[in-house]
Amino acid sequence: MSRKRSNSGQILLIAAFIMASLLLSAQLYILEVGKTTGELESDSLNDFLLAMKLGSRHVVIGSLANISNGGQSGNLAGNLRKWSSLISEQYQFGKSVLTYAVKETAPYSSGIWTSWSVNGTGISSAYANFTYKLSDREVNVDQSYFMNITTAVFIESSYQTVSGDTKQVNVTISLLNEEAPALAKQIAIYYRFLDSWQIPDATNNYNILDYGNGTYIASFVANILSQNVEVSVHIVDQREIYVQANATSTQI
Amino acid sequence: MFDQKGQTRIIEAFLAIAVIFSVLLISVTFPSSPNLDRQKFLANSGTQVLIKLDANGTLGNLIMQENWTAIKRSLDILLPIGVSFNLTVYDENLRQINSQAVQNSNLLSREAVSVQYICAAQDLNVQFFVLRLQLAWTR
Repeated sequence: MSRKRSNSGQILLIAAFIMASLLLSAQLYILEVGKTTGELESDSLNDFLLAMKLGSRHVVIGSLANISNGGQSGNLAGNLRKWSSLISEQYQFGKSVLTYAVKETAPYSSGIWTSWSVNGTGISSAYANFTYKLSDREVNVDQSYFMNITTAVFIESSYQTVSGDTKQVNVTISLLNEEAPALAKQIAIYYRFLDSWQIPDATNNYNILDYGNGTYIASFVANILSQNVEVSVHIVDQREIYVQANATSTQI
Repeated sequence: MFDQKGQTRIIEAFLAIAVIFSVLLISVTFPSSPNLDRQKFLANSGTQVLIKLDANGTLGNLIMQENWTAIKRSLDILLPIGVSFNLTVYDENLRQINSQAVQNSNLLSREAVSVQYICAAQDLNVQFFVLRLQLAWTR
């Protein structure tokens, strides 16, 4: 009995040490659990993928704007090379690899298709395929996507003879971005007079109506000797992509 | 002999109490676990704002124009009230290009989260930028 009583103080100390270690380990566990940011990283990864696709789109649009305004067709591949290199240098979520391939099947060449025809249709288009791979201990992503950027313009022109060689010309213009109506930043209209293209101005009663839905109607009066009234419409859309279309007016 | 036993027991009891108290003190002085929900909200808000600005190419164009005032104003409007921010813009070679601070207040001594964003400017001459947006709650 006396031996039991003499040990009780040591038991108290041992119990205190056990309690202390339990408290400390519980505290450490709570801290460790608090550091788990799996959900946070998942949201961030989705945002990163969204930003990467947005950037890919901007690169394709910017490259098409450059090429349609006279830049070299290799600019698309060059810009995409820089973009994929920059993405592949991002290691927040693991090893990232973004690969691209510009479309080479007809009518595309080096990912670019420009068709500025005489039948009233004009197209400036760029097409690229992307594959993104992310490998990490916890997450693996393998995504493919494409970017097809197309600015198209459709024109219809008609004229009526006012007197002699003087003709009233009306040109209806429809501008589309990825098959949806789009607004123009700049529109220039030309008509053919003998062997040169003329720009109608105030002396030609030039007027253009903007319907706000991608449709524009331009009208002017001009002295055109031929019965073949040819018009040419040059447009730069809000994305700086240039497109043009030519058409022969029908007499009404 | 009996008195000595009693003193020893008192000392042992004090030691036990000291052990428990020292552990409690240690756990109190441990760095508190960061509030993940608030941090997550900050990080998400920051990224969403940058994505929103970048959606139609505005962000890249403003950077190319070096219009830091417009970027600061946009962040001021789009971020929730009570959030302090500091944006640093680097070119593709990671050279800082913002000549003036794009921030609404100083983030010193605040628990901040950092968001990294890669941006391509939708321009005739495509350029690439790396943005680092630091966010913290205003006290």
